[in-house]
Amino acid sequence: MTDLTGPQVSTFTAFRATLRRDLLIALKRRNDLLNPLMFFLIVVSLFPLGVSSDPQELTRIAAGTVWVSALLASMLSLDNLYRADYEDGSLEQLLLSPQPLYFLVLAKNIAHWLVSGLPVVLLAPLLAYMLYLPADAYWTLMLTLLLGTPVLSLFGSIGVALTVGLGSRGLILAVIVLPLTVPVLIIGAKAVADVSLGLALGMHYSLLGALLALSLSLAPLASAAALKISVN
Amino acid sequence: MWQWFFRLGSPKWFYELSGRWLPWLYVAMTVLLSVGVIWALLFVPQDYQQGDTIRIMYVHVPVASISLACFPLMAVAGVITLVWKMKLADMVAMCAAPIGAWFTAVALATGAIWGQPIWGTWWAWDARLTSMLIQFFLLIGVIALRSAIESQDAAARACALLSIVGAINVPIIKYSVEWWNTLHQPASNFAMDNESPFGPEIWVPLVIMIFAVYLFFVISLILSTRNEILVRERRSQWVVDLIAAQKPQGA
Repeated sequence: MTDLTGPQVSTFTAFRATLRRDLLIALKRRNDLLNPLMFFLIVVSLFPLGVSSDPQELTRIAAGTVWVSALLASMLSLDNLYRADYEDGSLEQLLLSPQPLYFLVLAKNIAHWLVSGLPVVLLAPLLAYMLYLPADAYWTLMLTLLLGTPVLSLFGSIGVALTVGLGSRGLILAVIVLPLTVPVLIIGAKAVADVSLGLALGMHYSLLGALLALSLSLAPLASAAALKISVN
Repeated sequence: MWQWFFRLGSPKWFYELSGRWLPWLYVAMTVLLSVGVIWALLFVPQDYQQGDTIRIMYVHVPVASISLACFPLMAVAGVITLVWKMKLADMVAMCAAPIGAWFTAVALATGAIWGQPIWGTWWAWDARLTSMLIQFFLLIGVIALRSAIESQDAAARACALLSIVGAINVPIIKYSVEWWNTLHQPASNFAMDNESPFGPEIWVPLVIMIFAVYLFFVISLILSTRNEILVRERRSQWVVDLIAAQKPQGA
Protein backbone atom coordinates (compact mmCIF):
# COMPACT_ATOMS: atom_id res chain seq x y z
CA MET A 1 0.00 0.00 0.00
CA THR A 2 1.29 3.43 -0.86
CA ASP A 3 0.57 6.34 1.38
CA LEU A 4 -2.02 8.45 -0.41
CA THR A 5 -2.36 11.11 2.25
CA GLY A 6 0.86 12.89 1.36
CA PRO A 7 2.55 15.41 3.62
CA GLN A 8 0.25 16.80 6.28
CA VAL A 9 -0.50 20.51 6.00
CA SER A 10 -1.91 22.34 8.97
CA THR A 11 -5.19 24.21 8.55
CA PHE A 12 -3.49 27.47 9.38
CA THR A 13 -0.94 26.97 6.61
CA ALA A 14 -3.73 26.25 4.14
CA PHE A 15 -5.60 29.31 5.32
CA ARG A 16 -2.52 31.50 4.87
CA ALA A 17 -1.72 30.03 1.48
CA THR A 18 -5.26 30.66 0.20
CA LEU A 19 -5.21 34.21 1.51
CA ARG A 20 -1.81 34.88 -0.06
CA ARG A 21 -2.79 33.38 -3.37
CA ASP A 22 -5.99 35.43 -3.64
CA LEU A 23 -4.23 38.64 -2.67
CA LEU A 24 -1.48 38.01 -5.24
CA ILE A 25 -4.00 37.35 -7.99
CA ALA A 26 -5.89 40.51 -7.08
CA LEU A 27 -2.72 42.60 -7.13
CA LYS A 28 -1.85 41.27 -10.58
CA ARG A 29 -5.19 42.45 -11.94
CA ARG A 30 -5.11 46.16 -11.34
CA ASN A 31 -8.30 46.86 -13.25
CA ASP A 32 -10.37 44.55 -11.12
CA LEU A 33 -8.97 46.38 -8.14
CA LEU A 34 -9.73 49.84 -9.44
CA ASN A 35 -13.13 49.29 -11.00
CA PRO A 36 -15.19 48.95 -7.81
CA LEU A 37 -13.51 52.06 -6.44
CA MET A 38 -14.23 54.03 -9.59
CA PHE A 39 -17.80 52.75 -9.50
CA PHE A 40 -18.10 53.91 -5.89
CA LEU A 41 -16.78 57.33 -6.83
CA ILE A 42 -19.08 57.69 -9.84
CA VAL A 43 -22.24 56.55 -8.05
CA VAL A 44 -21.63 58.96 -5.19
CA SER A 45 -21.11 61.84 -7.59
CA LEU A 46 -24.36 60.99 -9.38
CA PHE A 47 -26.36 61.91 -6.28
CA PRO A 48 -25.56 65.63 -6.22
CA LEU A 49 -26.28 65.71 -9.95
CA GLY A 50 -29.59 63.93 -9.53
CA VAL A 51 -30.80 65.38 -6.24
CA SER A 52 -29.40 68.86 -5.70
CA SER A 53 -26.14 70.69 -5.23
CA ASP A 54 -27.46 72.51 -2.19
CA PRO A 55 -25.02 71.84 0.69
CA GLN A 56 -27.78 71.50 3.29
CA GLU A 57 -29.68 68.99 1.19
CA LEU A 58 -26.47 67.03 0.56
CA THR A 59 -25.56 67.00 4.25
CA ARG A 60 -28.88 65.38 4.96
CA ILE A 61 -28.44 62.56 2.43
CA ALA A 62 -24.65 62.17 2.74
CA ALA A 63 -24.65 59.23 5.15
CA GLY A 64 -27.18 57.21 3.17
CA THR A 65 -25.57 58.03 -0.17
CA VAL A 66 -22.10 56.86 0.86
CA TRP A 67 -23.51 53.71 2.45
CA VAL A 68 -25.75 52.76 -0.49
CA SER A 69 -22.87 53.37 -2.91
CA ALA A 70 -20.52 51.25 -0.80
CA LEU A 71 -23.15 48.50 -0.85
CA LEU A 72 -23.45 48.66 -4.65
CA ALA A 73 -19.69 48.77 -5.14
CA SER A 74 -19.26 45.70 -2.97
CA MET A 75 -21.99 43.97 -5.01
CA LEU A 76 -20.15 44.76 -8.23
CA SER A 77 -16.86 43.33 -7.05
CA LEU A 78 -18.39 40.12 -5.71
CA ASP A 79 -18.13 38.27 -8.99
CA ASN A 80 -14.33 38.17 -8.71
CA LEU A 81 -14.70 36.07 -5.60
CA TYR A 82 -15.18 32.62 -7.14
CA ARG A 83 -15.73 33.18 -10.85
CA ALA A 84 -12.19 32.84 -12.17
CA ASP A 85 -11.49 29.93 -9.83
CA TYR A 86 -14.60 28.21 -11.06
CA GLU A 87 -13.62 28.63 -14.67
CA ASP A 88 -10.03 27.41 -14.37
CA GLY A 89 -10.97 24.52 -12.10
CA SER A 90 -9.07 25.59 -9.02
CA LEU A 91 -12.33 25.91 -7.11
CA GLU A 92 -12.82 22.17 -7.52
CA GLN A 93 -9.36 21.57 -6.13
CA LEU A 94 -10.27 23.75 -3.18
CA LEU A 95 -13.36 21.64 -2.53
CA LEU A 96 -11.38 18.43 -2.84
CA SER A 97 -8.74 19.48 -0.34
CA PRO A 98 -8.86 17.73 3.03
CA GLN A 99 -8.81 21.05 4.89
CA PRO A 100 -12.03 22.33 6.49
CA LEU A 101 -13.75 24.34 3.79
CA TYR A 102 -14.91 26.90 6.35
CA PHE A 103 -11.39 28.28 6.77
CA LEU A 104 -10.58 28.27 3.05
CA VAL A 105 -13.79 30.15 2.26
CA LEU A 106 -13.05 32.54 5.12
CA ALA A 107 -9.58 33.18 3.69
CA LYS A 108 -11.06 33.96 0.28
CA ASN A 109 -13.63 36.27 1.84
CA ILE A 110 -10.99 38.11 3.84
CA ALA A 111 -8.83 38.52 0.74
CA HIS A 112 -11.85 39.84 -1.16
CA TRP A 113 -12.62 42.33 1.59
CA LEU A 114 -9.01 43.51 1.76
CA VAL A 115 -8.96 44.37 -1.95
CA SER A 116 -12.54 45.61 -2.40
CA GLY A 117 -13.92 46.62 0.99
CA LEU A 118 -10.97 48.27 2.65
CA PRO A 119 -10.25 50.71 -0.22
CA VAL A 120 -13.89 51.81 -0.08
CA VAL A 121 -13.52 52.48 3.66
CA LEU A 122 -10.39 54.53 3.00
CA LEU A 123 -11.93 56.49 0.15
CA ALA A 124 -15.15 57.23 2.05
CA PRO A 125 -13.95 60.39 3.90
CA LEU A 126 -13.07 62.09 0.61
CA LEU A 127 -16.55 61.43 -0.74
CA ALA A 128 -18.10 62.42 2.57
CA TYR A 129 -16.28 65.75 2.27
CA MET A 130 -17.70 66.26 -1.21
CA LEU A 131 -21.18 65.64 0.21
CA TYR A 132 -20.66 68.13 3.09
CA LEU A 133 -20.91 65.51 5.81
CA PRO A 134 -20.17 67.24 9.16
CA ALA A 135 -16.58 66.66 10.21
CA ASP A 136 -17.41 64.89 13.47
CA ALA A 137 -19.17 62.14 11.55
CA TYR A 138 -16.06 61.06 9.60
CA TRP A 139 -14.80 58.65 12.20
CA THR A 140 -18.23 57.14 12.62
CA LEU A 141 -18.52 56.71 8.87
CA MET A 142 -15.18 54.95 8.60
CA LEU A 143 -15.76 52.82 11.68
CA THR A 144 -19.24 51.69 10.60
CA LEU A 145 -17.94 50.94 7.11
CA LEU A 146 -15.05 49.04 8.66
CA LEU A 147 -17.50 46.90 10.63
CA GLY A 148 -20.14 46.73 7.90
CA THR A 149 -18.30 46.07 4.63
CA PRO A 150 -16.93 42.67 5.82
CA VAL A 151 -20.54 41.64 6.47
CA LEU A 152 -21.38 42.65 2.90
CA SER A 153 -18.52 40.50 1.57
CA LEU A 154 -19.54 37.55 3.74
CA PHE A 155 -23.23 37.71 2.77
CA GLY A 156 -22.34 38.36 -0.85
CA SER A 157 -20.11 35.31 -0.85
CA ILE A 158 -23.16 33.10 -0.21
CA GLY A 159 -24.90 34.62 -3.21
CA VAL A 160 -21.89 34.25 -5.52
CA ALA A 161 -21.35 30.68 -4.36
CA LEU A 162 -24.97 29.84 -5.21
CA THR A 163 -24.82 31.43 -8.66
CA VAL A 164 -21.23 30.76 -9.72
CA GLY A 165 -22.20 28.04 -12.19
CA LEU A 166 -24.90 30.05 -13.93
CA GLY A 167 -24.55 31.72 -17.30
CA SER A 168 -26.26 35.04 -16.60
CA ARG A 169 -25.68 35.78 -12.99
CA GLY A 170 -25.19 39.55 -12.60
CA LEU A 171 -28.77 40.54 -11.86
CA ILE A 172 -29.81 37.43 -10.02
CA LEU A 173 -26.89 37.89 -7.66
CA ALA A 174 -28.13 41.37 -6.76
CA VAL A 175 -31.72 40.15 -6.37
CA ILE A 176 -30.60 37.43 -3.96
CA VAL A 177 -28.03 39.36 -1.95
CA LEU A 178 -29.37 42.91 -1.69
CA PRO A 179 -32.37 42.09 0.55
CA LEU A 180 -30.04 40.23 2.92
CA THR A 181 -27.89 43.32 3.37
CA VAL A 182 -30.74 45.55 4.56
CA PRO A 183 -29.86 45.37 8.30
CA VAL A 184 -26.24 46.43 7.69
CA LEU A 185 -27.33 49.36 5.56
CA ILE A 186 -29.94 50.49 8.06
CA ILE A 187 -27.65 50.38 11.07
CA GLY A 188 -24.58 51.81 9.35
CA ALA A 189 -26.31 54.69 7.62
CA LYS A 190 -28.33 55.48 10.72
CA ALA A 191 -25.23 55.67 12.91
CA VAL A 192 -23.58 58.19 10.56
CA ALA A 193 -26.78 60.20 10.20
CA ASP A 194 -27.28 60.32 13.97
CA VAL A 195 -23.76 61.57 14.62
CA SER A 196 -24.03 64.23 11.92
CA LEU A 197 -27.24 65.42 13.58
CA GLY A 198 -25.35 65.68 16.87
CA LEU A 199 -27.13 62.77 18.53
CA ALA A 200 -25.31 60.43 20.88
CA LEU A 201 -24.62 56.97 19.51
CA GLY A 202 -26.44 54.22 21.32
CA MET A 203 -26.05 50.62 20.37
CA HIS A 204 -25.16 51.16 16.70
CA TYR A 205 -21.62 49.82 17.02
CA SER A 206 -22.67 46.87 19.14
CA LEU A 207 -25.36 45.92 16.63
CA LEU A 208 -22.94 46.14 13.72
CA GLY A 209 -20.38 44.17 15.70
CA ALA A 210 -22.98 41.54 16.50
CA LEU A 211 -23.87 41.25 12.81
CA LEU A 212 -20.20 40.91 11.94
CA ALA A 213 -19.65 38.21 14.57
CA LEU A 214 -22.75 36.33 13.44
CA SER A 215 -21.83 36.46 9.76
CA LEU A 216 -18.17 35.59 10.43
CA SER A 217 -19.23 32.43 12.19
CA LEU A 218 -22.15 31.34 9.99
CA ALA A 219 -21.80 32.85 6.50
CA PRO A 220 -18.65 30.89 5.46
CA LEU A 221 -20.47 27.68 6.40
CA ALA A 222 -23.35 28.65 4.13
CA SER A 223 -20.90 29.67 1.37
CA ALA A 224 -19.09 26.34 1.68
CA ALA A 225 -22.37 24.43 1.42
CA ALA A 226 -23.40 26.57 -1.54
CA LEU A 227 -20.09 25.94 -3.33
CA LYS A 228 -20.56 22.21 -2.89
CA ILE A 229 -24.02 22.52 -4.47
CA SER A 230 -22.79 24.64 -7.38
CA VAL A 231 -19.72 22.55 -8.19
CA ASN A 232 -20.91 19.05 -8.70
CA MET B 1 -41.36 5.75 14.68
CA TRP B 2 -39.70 7.35 11.66
CA GLN B 3 -41.60 5.17 9.24
CA TRP B 4 -44.50 7.55 8.75
CA PHE B 5 -42.03 10.36 8.17
CA PHE B 6 -40.30 8.60 5.32
CA ARG B 7 -43.58 7.35 3.92
CA LEU B 8 -44.70 10.97 3.84
CA GLY B 9 -41.70 11.60 1.63
CA SER B 10 -43.05 9.34 -1.06
CA PRO B 11 -44.80 11.51 -3.65
CA LYS B 12 -47.21 8.73 -4.57
CA TRP B 13 -48.33 8.29 -0.98
CA PHE B 14 -48.80 12.03 -0.55
CA TYR B 15 -50.74 12.23 -3.82
CA GLU B 16 -53.19 9.56 -2.74
CA LEU B 17 -53.56 10.86 0.80
CA SER B 18 -54.07 14.47 -0.24
CA GLY B 19 -56.59 13.32 -2.82
CA ARG B 20 -58.66 11.88 0.02
CA TRP B 21 -58.25 15.02 2.14
CA LEU B 22 -59.08 17.58 -0.53
CA PRO B 23 -62.90 17.21 -0.59
CA TRP B 24 -63.07 17.73 3.17
CA LEU B 25 -60.77 20.73 2.97
CA TYR B 26 -62.93 22.22 0.21
CA VAL B 27 -66.07 21.84 2.29
CA ALA B 28 -64.45 23.30 5.40
CA MET B 29 -63.01 26.22 3.50
CA THR B 30 -66.23 27.03 1.68
CA VAL B 31 -68.24 27.01 4.92
CA LEU B 32 -65.73 29.06 6.88
CA LEU B 33 -65.10 31.50 4.06
CA SER B 34 -68.81 32.16 3.39
CA VAL B 35 -69.62 32.57 7.09
CA GLY B 36 -66.56 34.74 7.65
CA VAL B 37 -67.01 36.98 4.61
CA ILE B 38 -70.74 37.52 5.13
CA TRP B 39 -70.29 38.16 8.85
CA ALA B 40 -67.33 40.49 8.37
CA LEU B 41 -68.78 42.47 5.50
CA LEU B 42 -72.41 42.75 6.57
CA PHE B 43 -72.82 42.22 10.31
CA VAL B 44 -69.69 43.48 12.03
CA PRO B 45 -70.51 46.92 13.50
CA GLN B 46 -68.75 49.93 12.03
CA ASP B 47 -65.71 51.09 13.92
CA TYR B 48 -66.27 54.38 15.71
CA GLN B 49 -63.11 55.83 14.16
CA GLN B 50 -62.55 53.94 10.94
CA GLY B 51 -66.10 53.25 9.80
CA ASP B 52 -66.39 50.59 7.13
CA THR B 53 -62.65 50.66 6.47
CA ILE B 54 -62.22 48.29 9.40
CA ARG B 55 -63.60 45.48 7.22
CA ILE B 56 -60.40 45.42 5.17
CA MET B 57 -58.77 44.02 8.31
CA TYR B 58 -60.69 40.77 7.80
CA VAL B 59 -58.74 40.11 4.61
CA HIS B 60 -55.52 41.87 5.49
CA VAL B 61 -54.74 40.23 8.84
CA PRO B 62 -55.25 36.59 7.74
CA VAL B 63 -53.30 37.10 4.52
CA ALA B 64 -50.46 38.87 6.30
CA SER B 65 -50.23 36.23 9.02
CA ILE B 66 -49.90 33.48 6.43
CA SER B 67 -47.29 35.31 4.41
CA LEU B 68 -45.24 35.52 7.62
CA ALA B 69 -45.54 31.76 8.09
CA CYS B 70 -44.28 31.09 4.57
CA PHE B 71 -40.56 31.62 5.14
CA PRO B 72 -40.34 29.34 8.19
CA LEU B 73 -42.25 26.71 6.20
CA MET B 74 -39.78 26.97 3.31
CA ALA B 75 -36.82 26.84 5.70
CA VAL B 76 -38.12 23.68 7.40
CA ALA B 77 -38.71 22.11 3.99
CA GLY B 78 -35.20 23.24 3.05
CA VAL B 79 -33.66 21.49 6.06
CA ILE B 80 -35.55 18.31 5.18
CA THR B 81 -34.35 18.60 1.57
CA LEU B 82 -30.72 19.05 2.58
CA VAL B 83 -30.64 16.48 5.38
CA TRP B 84 -32.90 13.66 4.15
CA LYS B 85 -32.91 14.56 0.42
CA MET B 86 -36.67 14.15 0.44
CA LYS B 87 -38.05 15.16 -2.93
CA LEU B 88 -41.51 15.93 -1.62
CA ALA B 89 -40.13 18.59 0.75
CA ASP B 90 -38.50 20.34 -2.19
CA MET B 91 -41.72 20.23 -4.20
CA VAL B 92 -43.61 21.81 -1.28
CA ALA B 93 -40.91 24.48 -0.87
CA MET B 94 -40.95 25.17 -4.59
CA CYS B 95 -44.73 25.59 -4.67
CA ALA B 96 -44.82 27.60 -1.44
CA ALA B 97 -42.53 30.34 -2.77
CA PRO B 98 -44.82 31.82 -5.44
CA ILE B 99 -47.93 31.36 -3.27
CA GLY B 100 -46.13 33.11 -0.41
CA ALA B 101 -45.04 35.92 -2.72
CA TRP B 102 -48.65 36.39 -3.83
CA PHE B 103 -49.89 36.44 -0.24
CA THR B 104 -47.22 39.00 0.64
CA ALA B 105 -48.21 41.12 -2.34
CA VAL B 106 -51.91 40.91 -1.38
CA ALA B 107 -51.05 41.81 2.22
CA LEU B 108 -49.12 44.86 0.97
CA ALA B 109 -51.93 45.82 -1.41
CA THR B 110 -54.71 45.51 1.16
CA GLY B 111 -52.52 47.39 3.61
CA ALA B 112 -52.18 50.19 1.07
CA ILE B 113 -55.93 50.28 0.41
CA TRP B 114 -56.54 50.46 4.16
CA GLY B 115 -53.80 53.03 4.66
CA GLN B 116 -55.16 55.45 2.08
CA PRO B 117 -58.26 56.56 4.06
CA ILE B 118 -56.73 56.02 7.52
CA TRP B 119 -53.21 57.40 7.21
CA GLY B 120 -53.98 59.53 4.15
CA THR B 121 -51.31 57.80 2.08
CA TRP B 122 -50.97 54.61 0.06
CA TRP B 123 -47.53 53.92 1.35
CA ALA B 124 -45.63 54.75 4.51
CA TRP B 125 -42.19 53.52 5.52
CA ASP B 126 -43.75 51.97 8.55
CA ALA B 127 -41.78 49.16 10.17
CA ARG B 128 -44.26 46.44 9.31
CA LEU B 129 -44.79 47.56 5.74
CA THR B 130 -41.08 47.83 5.13
CA SER B 131 -40.22 44.42 6.53
CA MET B 132 -43.06 42.89 4.48
CA LEU B 133 -41.60 44.53 1.38
CA ILE B 134 -38.12 43.14 2.12
CA GLN B 135 -39.63 39.71 2.70
CA PHE B 136 -41.30 40.01 -0.70
CA PHE B 137 -37.87 40.73 -2.23
CA LEU B 138 -36.39 37.70 -0.47
CA LEU B 139 -39.13 35.45 -1.87
CA ILE B 140 -38.58 36.86 -5.34
CA GLY B 141 -34.90 36.03 -4.92
CA VAL B 142 -35.67 32.40 -4.10
CA ILE B 143 -38.02 32.13 -7.10
CA ALA B 144 -35.45 33.74 -9.39
CA LEU B 145 -32.71 31.40 -8.21
CA ARG B 146 -34.97 28.39 -8.79
CA SER B 147 -35.70 29.39 -12.35
CA ALA B 148 -32.07 30.23 -13.10
CA ILE B 149 -30.59 26.83 -12.22
CA GLU B 150 -31.22 24.18 -14.81
CA SER B 151 -30.41 21.03 -12.88
CA GLN B 152 -33.42 20.19 -10.74
CA ASP B 153 -31.35 18.62 -8.00
CA ALA B 154 -28.94 21.55 -7.74
CA ALA B 155 -31.84 24.01 -7.83
CA ALA B 156 -33.54 22.16 -4.99
CA ARG B 157 -30.49 22.28 -2.75
CA ALA B 158 -29.54 25.86 -3.67
CA CYS B 159 -33.05 27.12 -2.94
CA ALA B 160 -33.14 25.11 0.30
CA LEU B 161 -29.93 26.80 1.43
CA LEU B 162 -31.13 30.26 0.40
CA SER B 163 -34.43 29.71 2.24
CA ILE B 164 -32.57 28.79 5.41
CA VAL B 165 -30.29 31.82 5.13
CA GLY B 166 -33.34 33.97 4.44
CA ALA B 167 -35.27 32.56 7.38
CA ILE B 168 -32.37 33.37 9.72
CA ASN B 169 -32.31 36.86 8.25
CA VAL B 170 -36.03 37.61 8.41
CA PRO B 171 -36.09 38.29 12.18
CA ILE B 172 -32.87 40.33 11.96
CA ILE B 173 -34.39 42.41 9.17
CA LYS B 174 -37.62 42.80 11.11
CA TYR B 175 -35.91 44.05 14.25
CA SER B 176 -33.50 46.34 12.43
CA VAL B 177 -36.36 47.88 10.47
CA GLU B 178 -38.39 48.38 13.64
CA TRP B 179 -35.40 49.93 15.38
CA TRP B 180 -34.74 52.22 12.40
CA ASN B 181 -38.33 53.28 12.14
CA THR B 182 -39.11 53.85 15.80
CA LEU B 183 -36.07 56.08 16.13
CA HIS B 184 -37.11 57.99 13.03
CA GLN B 185 -40.69 58.74 14.06
CA PRO B 186 -41.31 57.98 17.70
CA ALA B 187 -44.94 59.04 17.43
CA SER B 188 -45.96 56.39 14.89
CA ASN B 189 -49.01 55.35 16.83
CA PHE B 190 -51.36 54.13 14.21
CA ALA B 191 -55.02 53.48 14.66
CA MET B 192 -54.58 49.71 14.52
CA ASP B 193 -52.49 49.80 17.68
CA ASN B 194 -54.64 51.89 20.00
CA GLU B 195 -57.98 50.54 19.02
CA SER B 196 -60.68 50.14 21.61
CA PRO B 197 -60.64 46.71 23.24
CA PHE B 198 -61.89 44.14 20.76
CA GLY B 199 -65.28 42.73 21.56
CA PRO B 200 -66.20 39.21 20.48
CA GLU B 201 -68.35 40.62 17.66
CA ILE B 202 -65.09 41.92 16.19
CA TRP B 203 -62.67 39.07 16.78
CA VAL B 204 -64.81 35.97 16.25
CA PRO B 205 -65.27 36.68 12.52
CA LEU B 206 -61.58 37.52 12.34
CA VAL B 207 -60.64 34.12 13.76
CA ILE B 208 -63.03 32.46 11.31
CA MET B 209 -61.44 34.36 8.44
CA ILE B 210 -57.94 33.41 9.61
CA PHE B 211 -58.86 29.74 9.57
CA ALA B 212 -60.60 30.11 6.20
CA VAL B 213 -57.63 31.81 4.58
CA TYR B 214 -55.26 29.27 6.15
CA LEU B 215 -57.32 26.52 4.55
CA PHE B 216 -57.18 28.39 1.26
CA PHE B 217 -53.41 28.52 1.53
CA VAL B 218 -53.17 24.82 2.39
CA ILE B 219 -55.47 23.87 -0.50
CA SER B 220 -53.50 26.01 -2.97
CA LEU B 221 -50.27 24.49 -1.74
CA ILE B 222 -51.62 20.92 -1.98
CA LEU B 223 -53.04 21.46 -5.48
CA SER B 224 -49.87 23.02 -6.72
CA THR B 225 -47.73 20.31 -5.11
CA ARG B 226 -49.91 17.57 -6.66
CA ASN B 227 -49.39 19.21 -10.02
CA GLU B 228 -45.64 19.26 -9.49
CA ILE B 229 -45.67 15.62 -8.40
CA LEU B 230 -47.40 14.60 -11.65
CA VAL B 231 -44.93 16.63 -13.72
CA ARG B 232 -41.83 15.25 -12.01
CA GLU B 233 -43.05 11.65 -11.76
CA ARG B 234 -44.54 11.57 -15.24
CA ARG B 235 -42.30 8.67 -16.24
CA SER B 236 -43.17 6.48 -13.27
CA GLN B 237 -45.69 3.70 -13.72
CA TRP B 238 -48.31 4.89 -11.24
CA VAL B 239 -48.66 8.26 -12.96
CA VAL B 240 -48.93 6.62 -16.37
CA ASP B 241 -51.66 4.33 -14.98
CA LEU B 242 -53.41 7.28 -13.37
CA ILE B 243 -53.47 9.28 -16.58
CA ALA B 244 -54.65 6.25 -18.57
CA ALA B 245 -57.47 5.65 -16.09
CA GLN B 246 -58.61 9.27 -16.32
CA LYS B 247 -58.84 9.31 -20.10
CA PRO B 248 -62.38 8.72 -21.37
CA GLN B 249 -62.77 5.28 -22.90
CA GLY B 250 -62.28 5.07 -26.64
CA ALA B 251 -60.94 8.61 -26.90
